Amino acid sequence: MAVSRRNHGWLIWLTFALGLLLSVSPMPQFMEVFRPMWLALLVSFWTLAVPNRVGMTTAFVLGLAEDVLYGTLLGQNALILTLITFLVLSLQQRLRMFPMWQQSLVILVIFGIAQLIQLWLSALTGNRLPTLALVWSAVISALLWPWISFALRDLRRRLHIN
Amino acid sequence: MVVDARFDVLKPVRSQMGLVLMESYWITDLPQRAWQGVAGQFGSRTELIAENEKLKTEALLLQGRLQKLAALTEQNVRLRELLNSSALVNEKVEVAELIGVDPNPFTHRILINKGERDGVFLGQPVLDARGLMGQVVELMPYTSRVLLLTDTTHSIPVQVNRNGLRAIASGTGNPERLELRHVADTADIKEGDLLVSSGMGQRFPAGYPVATVNEVIHDSGQPFAIVRAIPTAALNRSRYMLLVFSDRRSPEQRATDAAIAQEEADRKGASAPGQPAPANGQGVPAAGAPATSAAPATPTVPPAAPAAAPATPAAAPAHTRRQ
Repeated sequence: MAVSRRNHGWLIWLTFALGLLLSVSPMPQFMEVFRPMWLALLVSFWTLAVPNRVGMTTAFVLGLAEDVLYGTLLGQNALILTLITFLVLSLQQRLRMFPMWQQSLVILVIFGIAQLIQLWLSALTGNRLPTLALVWSAVISALLWPWISFALRDLRRRLHIN
Repeated sequence: MVVDARFDVLKPVRSQMGLVLMESYWITDLPQRAWQGVAGQFGSRTELIAENEKLKTEALLLQGRLQKLAALTEQNVRLRELLNSSALVNEKVEVAELIGVDPNPFTHRILINKGERDGVFLGQPVLDARGLMGQVVELMPYTSRVLLLTDTTHSIPVQVNRNGLRAIASGTGNPERLELRHVADTADIKEGDLLVSSGMGQRFPAGYPVATVNEVIHDSGQPFAIVRAIPTAALNRSRYMLLVFSDRRSPEQRATDAAIAQEEADRKGASAPGQPAPANGQGVPAAGAPATSAAPATPTVPPAAPAAAPATPAAAPAHTRRQ
């Protein structure tokens, strides 16, 4: 077990790197509002699956990376991502038992809360966003959750990451 | 967050992290780059010929305009010297390329491939071929972030080119619109007016085109007119842009430098009589002497010729300013 752990830990980080890329990949202007919260999706999957390896510290570090990419204040996205991880972790035992659609619903609520706090934080830092359109990306993320979840679960089973 | 907002402690950390992380913008841009490369490889011959023709005519047009500009620049320098003012005529620029757009749809910021190591500084103005685009707001070693004119948090002091009326143009969050704040209802401003940067606020150099007015709404119930303008720069289309290095010396120092350069040019002109006759005869002293001495001497020559002749005094201070 120890050997496989050492072998496949990089895979988790690879998915995170991919998530960072996806979160800045160019999109048509009108679709920007609907950009899924890739990093949050990946982090919540891995905290659900292997809470012993991915936790709030990882989330915080990734959030800092996202802050640098987006040019927001250092810690803004980190706070959001840590909050998401905290909520997922505290519901972890129950969430794993839920059917997929119910998981999606919980994810929607958690991400929605996170996005509202994001809105509040950006209002505090001076660039108030004009609309509640930010919540759209939470909806899209929740719709994407089953697919991401299935794909990554398959990957995880096949490579015995735990 | 508070630490980052209030103090400068985290700036180096941030810029070093940016050094690594900004590669991801480059990577996500790869497919498009590859596509453009392929398209460039397979561009058909006729297309290339057509483009070549177009560029040639454009070059000719610009050359023509440049000739006139040379004359005007020269006249401008002479008049400014008469007025004893030393405003900038030429500025040093550097070309930068767009590497990424901020993923947040509510802010208008872009990333360019020039950073601190290339001499970029905070607040540096950025232009494209048609006008002002914005200013640098964040520095990383090899990249920097540019806030565009149309961001809701951005405002720029402008001037109506036609009559010099000053105003402040604020971004609206719409890439095709700026709004002029607090323009009196009776102010002389109308559709089609060109707005240029006024150079007030000491951040943007004066005289670059910013926007054209496309709508003026007079509402008798309101104290101010609503004036909307379209930025002249292609804010969401330009791929290449210019970073302007304006002069940060004090006016006095600039005047001294210009005087020294002038003296040197005079000395050179005196020691080397092999120079073209007009440059030696009238051109060099023309900068100090009133314009009337030069003007009646060459009344029938096309504007390009007098421009070429007294170019030496204009060029010399311009070079020293770049140091």
